[in-house]
Amino acid sequence: MPTEQPPVLTASVHDLRYVAAILRGVNFHNRATVTVTKQGLTVKVEEARTITAAAWIFADIFDEFIYNPETPTDDDFMRTTQDQEIESSSFEMPLNTVLDCLNIFGTAASSTGTGVGKKGWKKQNQDSDRESGDEEAGGNRVEPLNPNASEKHTGMRLTYMSPGYPLTLLIAEDVVGPTTTCEISTYEPEPYLDFGFDPEKVVLRIILKSSWFRDALSELDPSYDKLTFISNPPEMSDNPMTGKSRRRNPTKPILRIKAGGNFGSTEMDYPNDRDVLESFECMQSVSFSYRFSHIAKSLRAVQSSTKTSLRIDNDGLLSLQFMMPPPKGKENNAESSAFIDFQCLALDDEII
Amino acid sequence: MRFRATVESVSVFYKITQSVEKLQKRFILKFTPEHLHIICNHEANEGGTQVWSLIKVESIFTDYRIQSNSDNEITMALSSEALLAALRSPTASSVSSSSYQAEDIVMKLAKKNDRAVLRFDIIATTAVGRRAKVSHDVVVDVLKPHEVAKLSEPLCPDPNTHILLPPLHKIRTIVEKLRPMSDILAFRANNNGTLQLAIRTETANVQTEWKNLTNPKLNDDEPPPEEEIDMDKIFTVHVSIRSFLKFLNCHVISKTTIACICENHCLMLYVYIGGHADVGGVLTFYIPAIIDGD
Repeated sequence: MPTEQPPVLTASVHDLRYVAAILRGVNFHNRATVTVTKQGLTVKVEEARTITAAAWIFADIFDEFIYNPETPTDDDFMRTTQDQEIESSSFEMPLNTVLDCLNIFGTAASSTGTGVGKKGWKKQNQDSDRESGDEEAGGNRVEPLNPNASEKHTGMRLTYMSPGYPLTLLIAEDVVGPTTTCEISTYEPEPYLDFGFDPEKVVLRIILKSSWFRDALSELDPSYDKLTFISNPPEMSDNPMTGKSRRRNPTKPILRIKAGGNFGSTEMDYPNDRDVLESFECMQSVSFSYRFSHIAKSLRAVQSSTKTSLRIDNDGLLSLQFMMPPPKGKENNAESSAFIDFQCLALDDEII
Repeated sequence: MRFRATVESVSVFYKITQSVEKLQKRFILKFTPEHLHIICNHEANEGGTQVWSLIKVESIFTDYRIQSNSDNEITMALSSEALLAALRSPTASSVSSSSYQAEDIVMKLAKKNDRAVLRFDIIATTAVGRRAKVSHDVVVDVLKPHEVAKLSEPLCPDPNTHILLPPLHKIRTIVEKLRPMSDILAFRANNNGTLQLAIRTETANVQTEWKNLTNPKLNDDEPPPEEEIDMDKIFTVHVSIRSFLKFLNCHVISKTTIACICENHCLMLYVYIGGHADVGGVLTFYIPAIIDGD
């Protein structure tokens, strides 16, 4: 490995809260695989071979983002969603440690363990859809630990030399304050589990404000073990496309979230209203169940996002995409909005 | 043996007790005509941290009367939690909208069922304006003179460096984040205003550095060192991160804190109570070094 080569990745940001909020959204498993491309970073996490999450952090979120491919022309290519071949480097890092380091001054946001509480959610602005980045919107996605923290920005500089080298984070609160240097071990990346979500096979496609989805999830008791999405095409009593047995509901809800456990169950229906469901496409009646604990892992991501796209394919593979609000100062550039993608396999016994 | 005093600054007394309460279940209070000493010297406590403090009587008490056969000193061992509970009720009422407002708190040594107790008589006004008298008795063991003679402060070599610490609550935030990652904290400083707190584990090396802090001179009349010292030489002491966090509990009381490193021996922390001009007392923490750390 030539040592005089410039670092593979150098990135800096003057306010690390945005990056921390995105990373926190996928922080349900300690090992995360980071893929670096010229476009930005993807941070991927999987658990139990059943649920995967990927956070896409685009390069222009950072004030500085320099990527030097380690091997200029090699077989180290990757296919992006745009079907373009671009160079990439990846490594694995302990996500928990990275988040602890980012929050070392207590300024990255509220602690990672308490994001699920209802109290925090009530404070959130109901109209989180608006694309403004003023102080309130900033407080919407990240709750500062103390009121002064919102004015003080904690800057961060990230360096990754090359495989085998640690990830170096330099964190400073202000010029006179202390600086923290973190060297975090990196690991060789494990092959990433890809469920191969095929947009062609989608049977349910919904876009809604994250607050509507968030409120629904927050109503559910943590003791529940199963969550079912039930959806029917609007104003269609029967669907001739499928001859298989379907769950029939007397009211044929267009979207119902049903959750249950040993101590009871909850059902919530969404109305077919443009104010609630921005877009709704249902090809056939759908009823798929998921482990509630898995869906609940998306809570932190849904909390900090503005819009949610919910898709289910005909095998029950669930894809939840959370669009994050654009970072401060870059509100007009929708391209730079990060998003988090969750995919979760359905429970076997419920597949129709 | 007579002892009686009015607790004037109950919140100061409460906060000092709070600072050391986590360290050990029982501690020693030594009252002399001029000073109150709070001593935690148990070998058994977390990591062997010791606290020796010297607080001026007038920074907490008024109407202070003490009389005993051993140089008018009274030394007692008591439960820190019980003392804290006794002090909590008048403290809480003065801050929050509690059911009563403490007006006068008298502390005295008394006897109850043949046991020595430290009695706190609180005269208070209830929310509806009635006068109330609340009394707390904290059971104490009055130490005999030969037991008192055994108490001795730990001996330390001359420290390598003294440094004025940044606000303790800021250090606390940082150390709390480091706590889940490591058990051992490296505390480093030089004589040129640099302080470093670092951990080193398999997954991460994290180091927080302050620059341009002050290196105070404790004794102005001390002769300058004979040999030329390297101002930038970093001195290190490894301490248990849990012990250090327990010390950081005293951020509630501290205005000024000076840390002294005795390499391979201990970390000493002087916590000054009250302003710089009129120091009302000082709590001294000795945190032993972990020699084979790192």
